[in-house]
Amino acid sequence: MREPSDRDLVRRARRGDRDAAAALFRRYWRDAWRAAFVITGRRSLADDVAADGFERAFAALGRFDDRRPFGPWLHRIVANRALDLLRAERRLSDEELPELPDAAPVHDSGDRSLLAAVAELSVERRVVVVLRYGVGMTPKQIAAALDLPVGTVNSRLARALEQLRESVEVEHVE
Amino acid sequence: MSSELERRLEGLLAESPEPDPGAGEESLHRSLRALQPAAPGHRGLRTAVLVFAAAAVLLAIAAGSLAAAGALHVSFGQKARQRPVTTTQLLRPRDANGIAAIVDGRLSVAIKGGFRIEGLTASTVALSPHAWYVAAGIGHSLVAMAPDRRTAWSHPVGGEVVAIAWAPDGLRVAYVVRHGHRFALRAIYGNGTHDALIDRSVRPVRPSWRADSLAFAYVGGGGHAVVYDLGHQRHSVVGAAAPVTHLAFAPAGRALLVATPGSAVVDGKTVASGEVEAIGWFHTRATVALGAGFRPPLVRTFTRNGRQAEAFRVPGRVVAVTGGLVVTRTSDRILAGWRGKSLNTVLGVRSTTPVADLAVG
Repeated sequence: MREPSDRDLVRRARRGDRDAAAALFRRYWRDAWRAAFVITGRRSLADDVAADGFERAFAALGRFDDRRPFGPWLHRIVANRALDLLRAERRLSDEELPELPDAAPVHDSGDRSLLAAVAELSVERRVVVVLRYGVGMTPKQIAAALDLPVGTVNSRLARALEQLRESVEVEHVE
Repeated sequence: MSSELERRLEGLLAESPEPDPGAGEESLHRSLRALQPAAPGHRGLRTAVLVFAAAAVLLAIAAGSLAAAGALHVSFGQKARQRPVTTTQLLRPRDANGIAAIVDGRLSVAIKGGFRIEGLTASTVALSPHAWYVAAGIGHSLVAMAPDRRTAWSHPVGGEVVAIAWAPDGLRVAYVVRHGHRFALRAIYGNGTHDALIDRSVRPVRPSWRADSLAFAYVGGGGHAVVYDLGHQRHSVVGAAAPVTHLAFAPAGRALLVATPGSAVVDGKTVASGEVEAIGWFHTRATVALGAGFRPPLVRTFTRNGRQAEAFRVPGRVVAVTGGLVVTRTSDRILAGWRGKSLNTVLGVRSTTPVADLAVG
């Protein structure tokens, strides 16, 4: 049987259909969590941020324009929640926050170093990288999601790529 | 141009770790509770918005009358900045919209933009979201002031107001009023109209609003946490914890953190044991300050799944967790912040000076 589309599920969820909402959740939970994890670098924060993102998304489902795709909208909420939380922590804490992902059980491939390199990016660069390459949003969509000029998004992406190239190259040389 | 690096980045999320299965189920449960299919309270709220807007003109009239009567010592903007601020006056924490407290039985408020109130005898105070409004118990009235528009209203309540909580959407205010030896819970629109009795026998604990502003929690006469749903006008006892001394809804979602003298409980799950000095939320994390047995006090935060996220010590005694800050009291000052050096003095006090209801918004 054909899987219901996101739009069908959103419409049913809006009417209070918990099964449809649960299906939406299961469809996007893993990716939302992973996006939150790559941005925050911590499992406990990823749990909180992804959960909070879903709660906010479901609470705002009535205002969501269902002609637009659900996934990017959800990821936008998750990315913004992660940013809010990290900025608040940075502002309020004088202690260094852990930057590297904690106990990341990644595969024994070159992408282990890539994940670590992404974690070393500043939060602002990390978010645009996750939204661009992890979630597949265009720079224009990222700009709208983060309330930034498109030029700023492009420049953050370019600098992030430059930094990542250097990190990965150093890794290879070593 | 898609480089090798970009191709690898496209697989980044797939290469990142998997979430714990338990976290997903817990989050699913919470998310489903956030679904709001045509809540019956919405029509009432829309009406409230209209009433609220229409009443703005009336509020302006009331403001003038309060100030003219000399009931308030207020200052605005530039005028306030000309006067050097000392630590005997409340200092607004950086990035906060406002701070308010009852210091030695008198109202003390500092709002972004330079608005201050000092010296007015008051029983309790609360800030609205964004510190756009200040509500205080003055005499036998509930009084609201709006610093930016210099407006106010006053509503006689027939007793001393002992606790106030402003709804996150600003449209309603819940408050506890003392009548002799009894305490009653009432709710009123944010413009001072439509006052209603909610429960005639409650404990004198500050109510806490749910993030959607459609319900609030309070401590019933039996000492249990009760959630009042405005849409359905229904009271529901929550959990078995008693006597509840503090309660705090999460700033998003529906998680309710309650404290008894010996424990802190989130949605029925005990997350901390010990003498609880204060509770609140730091973004998505339940925050509990534990006192006796933990000197200096130990502040612990918990994830949504009840796991401890962090623990740190702060000097003095924790008097509030408010506005995402921990507020502590030492022998000669009140400090607000999070950890270590971010704790800044917001008020200088004598050791005997009572300070209550400190709120950061």
